[in-house]
Amino acid sequence: MTKRKKKMIMFAGVFVCLAMLLAVAGCAPEEAANGEDGTIEVKIGTVGPLTGGAANYGINILHAVEIAVEEANASGELGNISLKLISEDTGGDWSAAANAFTKLIDVDGVDVIIGAVLSSETEAGGPYAMEAKIPTISPSSTAKDLTKGNPYLFRNCLSDEVQAAQLAEYAVEELGLGKFAIFYTNNDYGVSLKEAFETTAAELAEVVAVEVFMDGDNNFKPQLTKIKESNPDALYIGGYYTEAAKIAQQAKEMGLDVQLLGADGLCNVALIEIGGEAVEGIYATSGFYPDDPTPAVQNFVNAYKEKYGEEPDMFAAQGYDAALIVINAIKTKGASSEEIREGIAATKDFPGITGKTSIDEEGDTIKDVLILKVEGGKFVRVR
Amino acid sequence: MINPYYMQLIILVGINTIMAASLNLILGYTGQLSIGHAAFMSLGAYSSALVTLHFGFPFIISLLCGALFSAIFGVIIGIPTLKLKGDYLAIATLGFGEIVRIVCLNLDITGGAMGLRGIPKKTTLLWVVLAVLVTVFILNRIIKSRIGRALIAIREDETAADSMGINSTYYKILCFGVGAFFAGLGGGLFAHYMRFLHPKTFDFMKSIEHLCMVVLGGLGNMWGAFIGASILTVVPELLRSVADLRLLIYGAVLVLMMRLRPQGILGPQTDIAPAIEKIRLKFKSIWHRLARGKT
Repeated sequence: MTKRKKKMIMFAGVFVCLAMLLAVAGCAPEEAANGEDGTIEVKIGTVGPLTGGAANYGINILHAVEIAVEEANASGELGNISLKLISEDTGGDWSAAANAFTKLIDVDGVDVIIGAVLSSETEAGGPYAMEAKIPTISPSSTAKDLTKGNPYLFRNCLSDEVQAAQLAEYAVEELGLGKFAIFYTNNDYGVSLKEAFETTAAELAEVVAVEVFMDGDNNFKPQLTKIKESNPDALYIGGYYTEAAKIAQQAKEMGLDVQLLGADGLCNVALIEIGGEAVEGIYATSGFYPDDPTPAVQNFVNAYKEKYGEEPDMFAAQGYDAALIVINAIKTKGASSEEIREGIAATKDFPGITGKTSIDEEGDTIKDVLILKVEGGKFVRVR
Repeated sequence: MINPYYMQLIILVGINTIMAASLNLILGYTGQLSIGHAAFMSLGAYSSALVTLHFGFPFIISLLCGALFSAIFGVIIGIPTLKLKGDYLAIATLGFGEIVRIVCLNLDITGGAMGLRGIPKKTTLLWVVLAVLVTVFILNRIIKSRIGRALIAIREDETAADSMGINSTYYKILCFGVGAFFAGLGGGLFAHYMRFLHPKTFDFMKSIEHLCMVVLGGLGNMWGAFIGASILTVVPELLRSVADLRLLIYGAVLVLMMRLRPQGILGPQTDIAPAIEKIRLKFKSIWHRLARGKT
């Protein structure tokens, strides 16, 4: 045998050995542990970015889910079922999300997953959940058609299409605006918003300019100059609060004095902190209004403030509601994955803190869209 | 049966081994600092996925289409950029990587910012093992041949190689093409495993990750590519349990590694036996020292 052949065989051998080693290390996933006192443990997995650029969203959602799980365990509403939370980080990378889903399903043996956070993460993880028949509910992945064709995938958030279309209607009918410019960020979120807003606005009124920016951009003046030339009445920003605040400031500096509109990505106090005067009067769709006086909302806001020392944002609220939907499913149907799936799918007019929530046959959410306005340095509900 | 999670890790180690081995040919053997390797991966991934989705070709044909498409781009990019050296080449390949990412982000056919979904799952462990063996076999044959000696000569001293009659530009482009071919193959396997593609993954950091695998394992060493790929795939997963500290520890491992063993784990030897012998001797001496200390 030549030396080279020997080496090839050695290479193959090492690869196979590694495979077997990992196989031995990986025993079958643990079964739902039934304690001696007859309690049943239901494992809830969460997937989302806890590090990296999108960490803010993932951490807020995880905090809210923690609160919901603690409350459910403390209140004893589930009888002999106790909930255990296992969270996995993706760093905002969808291929890491695929690993996180497989680990939760095959190593930790979770019964239900709350996640993922970013749409691309949920896209990557969804097929794994479907194969393993583990119900998964995303609190924030808004991309179009995400849950279609996957009976194990649900979401609890405003879809981009619905909120953009409703804001366009509101802007034309209630605010009497006629000429729209659209400025969107080039990711799945921005593109979905832009398409929905453009379609509705073009039907009801006129779209005079469409420009694009990138996440993390700082200078928006070239695009804003073009938008200014087209002389619009209103500027719809399809993006997140950091960029939106800067866009508002730069538009004001350039004398582009139009009505600003936006989506749920703007609904964070940081918009006002960064934008200051410039974001005054901005209208944005939202799924959550923290100053809502109903007791359920105030209880959550207070519990969150007490535990984490900051006001919960929309991501946290949707995460809390997603956890409540899961807990409700366990309460009404049962603790096995299949029963939880049925329970989530049967959700109808569920009184969450983000409004009445129903799940349709595609796994999508039907809920009211709120419209908030920035007035005197605060978000105020106008619809 | 193997737990699917560990199966997935093995498959990812295999794909990363292909990526690291192909970069090793460019970086380790020819000495060309390319930091756009993820771009070739994404070209292979997207083109093979699109071929599968639109024409329904058998898996092997899709893979080859992806690899060839990537190789063609490797050559096209190689012709103008490989006249550059060192840092300049690095910047040019960096630029190329960004161009590919932005193009994938803006084309309709690649799904743009929404990502490409619905790719059928075809990659299995068998396919990956076969692909790794074929890649390593072919790369080994190239390195042991006249071409390989020419590449190593270019790495050691390009001017001297030129004066010996080696057409250095030709060989550099050839190695770029071959490297891109196998990177495209890795990309194709990745696409048909993940069932979803998004340009965000194939960014600058992915190229750096491949670079780390090669440097960590040992430049100019095929075993090094395998070991580097294994470590940098498995360690981040092992560190999942420590959540917040994960990136910190990962970074510290890399820094310590480069401080203690800058030549990589295996160093530039082409054979693994002497390296293992060396490690064994080192452990033995440490053991002796410890044993002496105890008594």
